Amino acid sequence: MAKLTRIRELKLDIPKEAKRLAEVMLTDLERSKRPVLEAVKTSLDNSFYNAKVGYLTPGDKMVRTELNVSSVQKLARVVFMLELLLNNLEVGSVNTKRELYYMCKGVIKGNARLKPLDFEDQDESNSVIDFIGDMLRVYREELNCFANDRGGQTYSQQLVVTETMPDGDKATVDLSTLGTAPYQPKNRPQSLKLKARKKIDFCLIVESEGTANTLQAMGFTKRNNCILMGAQGVPSNAVRGWAKLIEEELSVPMYFFGDLDAYTMQNIFRTLKAGSAASLIRNADFSAPQVRFLGVLPEDVKKYDLPHYKVKESDPVEARALKKAKDALENDPFFLDKKNKGLSDILRWLIKEKIRCEQQSFFSVDPKDKIKTEKIILEKIRGGHYV
Amino acid sequence: MTNKITKSSTAEYFAKNLQQVGFSSPLKAVLTTLKEAVDNSMDACEVAGILPEITVEVKRMGVGSSKNSELVKIVVEDNGPGIEPDDLAKVFGEYLASSKFGRGQCSRGQQGIGISAATTWAQLTNAKGAFVRTKTSSMRKAIEARVDVDIKSNTGVVRNKETVDWDKKTSGVRVEFVIDGRIQLNGDGGLITYMEGTVLVNPHLTLHYKLLDNDWIHVERVSNDSPDIPEATLPHPHTFKLGEFITHATLFGKTSLAQFLKTGFSRISDQSIKDFVAKGLPKALLTKPISALKEDDFKKVFLAVQNTELMSPSTKSVLTVGEESLSKSIQRLGEIDFFSVVARKPTICDFKPVSVEVALARFKNRNLEADEPVQLLRFANRVPLQFDKSGCAITWAIESVNWKNYALSQPKSSLPIGPYIFAVSVVSPFIKFKNASKETIDASEELVEEIRRALMQAGQKLSRHIKKEDREADLERKLSHIEQFGPILVESLVRITKSSDVRKKKAEDGLKKLLGRDSQVAVAELEVASARLSKLKAHQDKKLGTDIADEETESEVIETAVENSKAAKSKKPASTKKKK
Repeated sequence: MAKLTRIRELKLDIPKEAKRLAEVMLTDLERSKRPVLEAVKTSLDNSFYNAKVGYLTPGDKMVRTELNVSSVQKLARVVFMLELLLNNLEVGSVNTKRELYYMCKGVIKGNARLKPLDFEDQDESNSVIDFIGDMLRVYREELNCFANDRGGQTYSQQLVVTETMPDGDKATVDLSTLGTAPYQPKNRPQSLKLKARKKIDFCLIVESEGTANTLQAMGFTKRNNCILMGAQGVPSNAVRGWAKLIEEELSVPMYFFGDLDAYTMQNIFRTLKAGSAASLIRNADFSAPQVRFLGVLPEDVKKYDLPHYKVKESDPVEARALKKAKDALENDPFFLDKKNKGLSDILRWLIKEKIRCEQQSFFSVDPKDKIKTEKIILEKIRGGHYV
Repeated sequence: MTNKITKSSTAEYFAKNLQQVGFSSPLKAVLTTLKEAVDNSMDACEVAGILPEITVEVKRMGVGSSKNSELVKIVVEDNGPGIEPDDLAKVFGEYLASSKFGRGQCSRGQQGIGISAATTWAQLTNAKGAFVRTKTSSMRKAIEARVDVDIKSNTGVVRNKETVDWDKKTSGVRVEFVIDGRIQLNGDGGLITYMEGTVLVNPHLTLHYKLLDNDWIHVERVSNDSPDIPEATLPHPHTFKLGEFITHATLFGKTSLAQFLKTGFSRISDQSIKDFVAKGLPKALLTKPISALKEDDFKKVFLAVQNTELMSPSTKSVLTVGEESLSKSIQRLGEIDFFSVVARKPTICDFKPVSVEVALARFKNRNLEADEPVQLLRFANRVPLQFDKSGCAITWAIESVNWKNYALSQPKSSLPIGPYIFAVSVVSPFIKFKNASKETIDASEELVEEIRRALMQAGQKLSRHIKKEDREADLERKLSHIEQFGPILVESLVRITKSSDVRKKKAEDGLKKLLGRDSQVAVAELEVASARLSKLKAHQDKKLGTDIADEETESEVIETAVENSKAAKSKKPASTKKKK
């Protein structure tokens, strides 16, 4: 099987490092010493943010698992999964987390002694895979474990993408030749090179892929020298890596257009701009620090008289997002940073007003004008009405 | 045209409002009738100092006269002192004709409504009142008669009076009601639940019962002491509201105010009267007869009394079942895994003497579900309360305890979960119910707190049993973990590192050593839990007077176990930690 494209320049040789760890564990056992595995603690209390760096980075807290009667199950599972992943790396095959879950089941089915290892649901096997990644400080993709490349449909009349294939061949995609079809970025943005046929003025990332498609259909990319992308909710690794690549290679202003609510601000925009606490070890390659929040802004609600809703505190999702927002203002280094005061002000406003306003509400401003939303977006970019 | 204003009799009022006294549904009608008859039998036996032996039979007789009901026959027979034939009409056919009304005693019945209401119900639904047979020790033969209620005049009417032989009894009463109702055996409002509850809080009761086509059940008494019903006590003035105070006073007619205060209440002395004057009671009123006082005067007196500190009422008037009897009694409900019993000393809540007793138990083979709320048995003055548990002080108290501390799972502010029976008994000469049908105890803050304390004490004892079980399970789990996961871990490591069998063997030995240390810790913890439990058991046995264990030896066992556990732990701290 062909060798896979590297995600990044990784100095670590994963199979070698895994073998070294196994060797240490085995030697410890031979000496009746408790083997210990350590992984980066991926949580908010171990996250640091520096506006100059632009994304969340890990501190030096570690999760330490020492062998004892309670942890022996976890360690056995980690080593079992590690063996499976090493085998994948050796033969060059890839899998999703769900596929790995079922592969484990298959192996266990064939060997009655392994029965106690069996995972009851995918969450259990996922956490083992994540632990291995955090332990080796490698991306899951580097363990040949890929996620579905959800979201990121991209339109542009100026952008040309050159992809280096696993076998070294190159493929060039001129987005202007795709007709109405979008370009769909894969989860290996580092194998791509970007070129602009003409100066690109900005890149717009829209939370709703549906709305991005509407803008495109109504001629947004024809009238503007731009890149238009749909995020489809919480950005996947593909979307995050792709946005990072555009920012780095083309140095164009980046804007995010989405709902005005606590969930979008914390889970979608923050992740796109600075990564997340869960992905501390990969934020460097999967965040676009220059992206700005174009809206919906609190001032837009009044200015355009946008329809909005009271947050339903009975709705567990919305109530949780609001509670999380309060928490974020106290503990999230991203929102605590002075440089992001504009963004934390929005969170404070949301907590105080307890309302939410959706991106699509701009379509209420002048229903007769089919491109009113486009006009407002451009007006906001020109006028500097973003955070 | 003018409407004529009519005055209705007490009987007329209750006949129209039977739902207020426990006859609001066919289901409740059966239970209430049975309850009233049994209560009367028990109270009569206790007053006469007779150990009660009661026989109950409930049968289906066919279809009832009202919609969705069946015709039900309820028979209750006792070995009590019997009722004088001349009193039959009063007891079964007249409302508020009680020997206990307002007396401040811990008797089951209080007002004299219950059994007359049952007669009324029988009469309304089946056109016949109560069939009674009675014999006192001075009678050679028994008297049998039917008693109806003359609703218009609130008097009982005795019909078909006959003399019959009843040789097997020296004294006793047998009462039979045929009523419209519906029979439910299990669950909160079930007859079996009622029978078991009655058995639990009356260790001195021998009970025989047959419900529908089930077999006869015979439950023998476990105590030969008939409870000493404490002397009646006078009410404490601080428990009164103004209106009650005035009503209470008018019973005293021409008595002087000072005399009324001293004799109508407890805890009022000559010194208290002086204190009342200091708090604003006009001295001139003291010598006036009650009948001469105006409403305004009453208010002044009342306020002065309320504002003066008085001694708390005596707790002597409260009756308790006792831990010993309760412990024996609970074993009559079935084979027990373990139980915990607490009888609090009588105390004062809201100026009323109260005693709270709690029994928590887990039974073998009782079909209680592990994931359902515990089965709750509530008692007020030793009578099971079976409806409307959500508003009851007992339920509130249970829900306010954090049962997780005692190793029971509990959804937020709810009853805990598990195959347990929680029995809580509140006894007081002045128990405050939410309604006349006595289904729920009014929840005052002080009462809830007192019940809560009893529950927490019982919870602590219970948790020793549960914790020991948990430790056992924990040890088992840990040992099986080692057996299951150890070899897998070593084999995987050997495969990844492509190591030899020699290394494999060596690593396996090392692993066994390590995990052996851990299981030693678990064994030691189990020892501590077991030792604590046996101490508790020894303590309980000592209290119950059986198998007196040497407590010193027990505490030595615990100390040794704790030492062992510490030693095992200190060998190696073993845990999954987060470090900075």
